[in-house]
Amino acid sequence: MKELLDILNKVKPGVDYVNEKHLVSDELIDSLDVMTIVTEICDEFDVEVLPTDVVPENFESVEAMWQLITRLQED
Amino acid sequence: MSYTSYFYLLFFLGVLVVLYYLMPLKKRWLVLLGGSYFFYWLASGKLIVFLLITTVTVYLGAIAMEREQRAFDAVRKSLEKEERKAKKAAMMCRKRHIVLAMVLINVGLLAFLKYYHFFSENVNALGSCLRLGVQMPALKLVMPLGISFYTLSAVGYVIDVYRGQTAADHHFGRLALFLSLFTNITEGPISRYGQLAGQTFEGHRADYRQFTFGAQLILWGLFQKMVLADRAALLVSTVFGSPSDYSGGVVILAMFVYTLQIYADFAGCMDIVRGSGALFGVEIARNFHQPFFSRSIGEFWRRWHMTLGAWFKDYIFYPVTLSKTNMKLGRWAKKHLSPHLGQVMPTAFALFFVWLANGLWHGAAWKYVAYGMYYYVLTLFGLLFKPVIFNFYERTGIRKDSRPWQFFLMARTFILVNIGMLLFRADSLHIFADMFVSMFRKTTGQWLELGLDVHDLAVLAAGAGLMLAVGILREKGICIRERIASWPIVFRWTVYTGAFCAIVLLGAYGSGYGVVDPLYANF
Repeated sequence: MKELLDILNKVKPGVDYVNEKHLVSDELIDSLDVMTIVTEICDEFDVEVLPTDVVPENFESVEAMWQLITRLQED
Repeated sequence: MSYTSYFYLLFFLGVLVVLYYLMPLKKRWLVLLGGSYFFYWLASGKLIVFLLITTVTVYLGAIAMEREQRAFDAVRKSLEKEERKAKKAAMMCRKRHIVLAMVLINVGLLAFLKYYHFFSENVNALGSCLRLGVQMPALKLVMPLGISFYTLSAVGYVIDVYRGQTAADHHFGRLALFLSLFTNITEGPISRYGQLAGQTFEGHRADYRQFTFGAQLILWGLFQKMVLADRAALLVSTVFGSPSDYSGGVVILAMFVYTLQIYADFAGCMDIVRGSGALFGVEIARNFHQPFFSRSIGEFWRRWHMTLGAWFKDYIFYPVTLSKTNMKLGRWAKKHLSPHLGQVMPTAFALFFVWLANGLWHGAAWKYVAYGMYYYVLTLFGLLFKPVIFNFYERTGIRKDSRPWQFFLMARTFILVNIGMLLFRADSLHIFADMFVSMFRKTTGQWLELGLDVHDLAVLAAGAGLMLAVGILREKGICIRERIASWPIVFRWTVYTGAFCAIVLLGAYGSGYGVVDPLYANF
């Protein structure tokens, strides 16, 4: 989780990722930010993210992103 | 058939609505299908064959992919792990071939009909320069109505089936209706199968509230198109028709008025389209969300022609960014250039194709390529300089969410968008450059000799003010139709009658005006 937070703060600093639960719907991160986060996640956690995984629900919070990473690692 | 014509509004819509609600509930989709194909036949005649080719190919292609998937699913549990992996890889490979074939056939058709002339002109020019003695033949090609729109809807459908996000539709009529729906075929919006197919196929009962909301939306759309857009077209065509005769404030005015024209035209037609859909209980996707309240170029393209942006995001941006080649590029950049560039490059690479496609989608000319690249450069600038921009906010202490700063960002974005519109409207890149430079020179040209008299300019200004007021209310989340519906009947009908009279009295038609086709119907 710490590595994920590091990625998020590197990609888009200044957002309270710990407490914010509506990162996409509150437009705190946009689709460009999401794709940059995804490419970093793929590198850091050695997972393959498909276009079908890039849905708002998977990026609304750091917990949602962590769930996605865990699922992809198990696949 | 124009959406603002008497034929469409009174005859076509009127007859179709009556037939729709007379039909048994489960057969109502036949009225929409018949009406859509009749609409298409009137507009494009024999070119309907291209729509049919697209419909048949994606229908068969989707079912073929589903067949492959089902054959694998039937045996997967009985296979050992390694054998399952191998069979899955083979199945995915066959599905990939099918979806690629569907994309190539349909995008290929679009590319041939829309871009052959542009391509051959440039090849022949290059051939002449290099004295190759090869000339591509000139062909008389006609574009079927809405090919740029229904092709994207069809390609989106087959890709969704490939990805497993949508089941293949075994009902040919339902798919045919989805691709041919008369409300969407001329100017979009670019519909998604999951959002539209089901609701157009299922019959809807008459709903007074929805029906009246639809009629009101059509009225508002007609106001924007006929009172504002078609009136603004006169000034725009005067200045852009003879750009060397004007400079300074006149060119700046023409640029802003063109932005008003294209927005009122496109958004107005979209309101007519959505209103038409509402008459049948069908919710058509929105294409605009107060775009001029945007604070960045990225936000603007999430609010302007939303369905096109969403299509490019889902079917070009995401797959290209996530491709193995692109990820390797990012890793290489991180290792050999810098961590920041390594982070940015995969996105930047994918965005190049998005903006190239965006530019070319709008037209087959170098100025449209330049239009796409203009926005690519602006977006790239934002990506590359993100750390610098972040430091700027940290050092200056400026609060991004403060009202003055938000206004500044909106004004900045508005100016950048207007420069893009100048490029979009100018007849060529060269003329755009001349007009852009001329904005900084002394004004030449008389304000009241630009095709509009003082009354017309007053109507434009008042209309723009009204659109701004509506935009502000919508931005605050106020549904104006709901608000008006809650008023006493006298006030409600005053508004409706006023709108109707404004269109009749102020609409740009009659002697001195020409019919202005919807701008986006040309794409």
